[in-house]
Amino acid sequence: MNHQQENEDVLRARFTKWLDIVIYRAKLKYLRKNETKLETVSFDELPESSQPVYEGDLRQIASKTDFDFEEERLANAFAKLPIKRQQILAKLFVEEKKPEEIAKELNCSAQHVYDQRYQALKKLRIELAKEGDEK
Amino acid sequence: MKPEEFRRILEDAILGSHEALEKIFELYDPLINKHSRIDGKLDEDLKQYILIHIALNISKFDI
Repeated sequence: MNHQQENEDVLRARFTKWLDIVIYRAKLKYLRKNETKLETVSFDELPESSQPVYEGDLRQIASKTDFDFEEERLANAFAKLPIKRQQILAKLFVEEKKPEEIAKELNCSAQHVYDQRYQALKKLRIELAKEGDEK
Repeated sequence: MKPEEFRRILEDAILGSHEALEKIFELYDPLINKHSRIDGKLDEDLKQYILIHIALNISKFDI
C-alpha cells in the first residue's frame, strides 16, 4: 500500500468514527424527544373513559374483577410506571380490552399500544428482578 | 471500494450530491441499522431520523 492509499484509509476510518458519533447523538436526541412526548401527553382532551387511571381507580377496578395486587412487589413496580403505561396495562389485563380498542379510546395507533405494553412489561420485569436481588 | 473512490464519494456527499449521499447510506447501512434498533427491534422512524440527521450534518465533516 502506498502513502496516498494509507491516507485515504485513514480518512475512511476517521469518517466512520465521526459517523458513529453523529448516529449515536441522533439516536439519543430521538429517544429523548419520544420520551418527552410520552411523558407530556395531555389527557385533558381525551374523553372521560380515557382519563388517566390513578391508584385509587386501579384498586376500584381490581375489586370489580379478579385482578388484584396480592403481590406487593408487583404493585410497587406497577406504581413506578408512567401513568399512561399503567392505564394501558390496566385496560389490557384488567378490562381485557384488545389493543385496537384501546388505541381507539386513546386516539393513538394499535402499534403504540403494543409498544407501550412491551415497554411496560419489560420495566416491570426489571423492577421485579431488582427487588428480587435486593432481598 | 477503493480508498480514492470512497474519498470522491464522500467529497461529493459533503458538497450536497444526493447520489453520493445515497451511496454513503448504502455503504454504512449495517452501522445505521445497528443504531436504529430499540429493544432489538428495527425502528423505521428512528432510522429515518438518523438518515436525516446524517444528511443535515455531513457537510460539517472536515476532510
